[in-house]
Amino acid sequence: MEFKGLVACRAGVGSSLMLNIKLKQVISENKLPIKIEHGSLDAVAGFNGALIVTLSDVAKELEAKKLPQKIIGIDNIMNKVEILTKLNAFLAEAK
Amino acid sequence: MLKDLTSEKLIRLNIDAKDWEDAVRQAADALLQNGKIKSSYIEAIIKTAKEGGPYFVLTKHVALPHARPEAGAIESAIGIATLKEPVVFGNKENDPVKYLFCLSALDNESHINALADLTGLLERKKFYEFLDQAKDASEVMQYIKNL
Repeated sequence: MEFKGLVACRAGVGSSLMLNIKLKQVISENKLPIKIEHGSLDAVAGFNGALIVTLSDVAKELEAKKLPQKIIGIDNIMNKVEILTKLNAFLAEAK
Repeated sequence: MLKDLTSEKLIRLNIDAKDWEDAVRQAADALLQNGKIKSSYIEAIIKTAKEGGPYFVLTKHVALPHARPEAGAIESAIGIATLKEPVVFGNKENDPVKYLFCLSALDNESHINALADLTGLLERKKFYEFLDQAKDASEVMQYIKNL
């Protein structure tokens, strides 16, 4: 099974694009069953996948909204170990 | 490519900043002075950060201040600024910030190759060491052209 994830940040033109690059590297290097798309926070409302990945401060805000998706907040977008650990935790939970 | 979106005029080294807001304003000023953004773009960055936290601190010691295109982006551009003394931005994981890459983006695509280049640079310890000892903007530009 493949999961759909949305990478989003406040503006949708900076942080999330960089996070998108790093996420795709981690996903392909580890062959994780996750397909990532990219958008701003406006895209969250219409998103029907299982996962939202964003920066930690935005994640806290989204968690408060009680969305149906699992929210992952990344502290340091250059830290592949952090990204992999958090994606693996999502996959373990989703199975 | 990063070399297409930045230039010597957009590079400011060893800025003296008293706090995070001052650092962002000074880093963004290079883009303002060169017609890449309107002053409203800087106000949008500051306002969003004051309301919701420093959403543009991405990795250790690095900030990518930016706002939505409609806040006042005129032309895609990336500025490079370093601080003489790092300042606290309020991001526990990545503070203090010493390197600022102010981004002006017109949409979510046209600058993606430049951001990919920058992402590659931010992974290299040597890039930070280079910025710390770089004497002027032309030296930084040369480094970027040689990527």
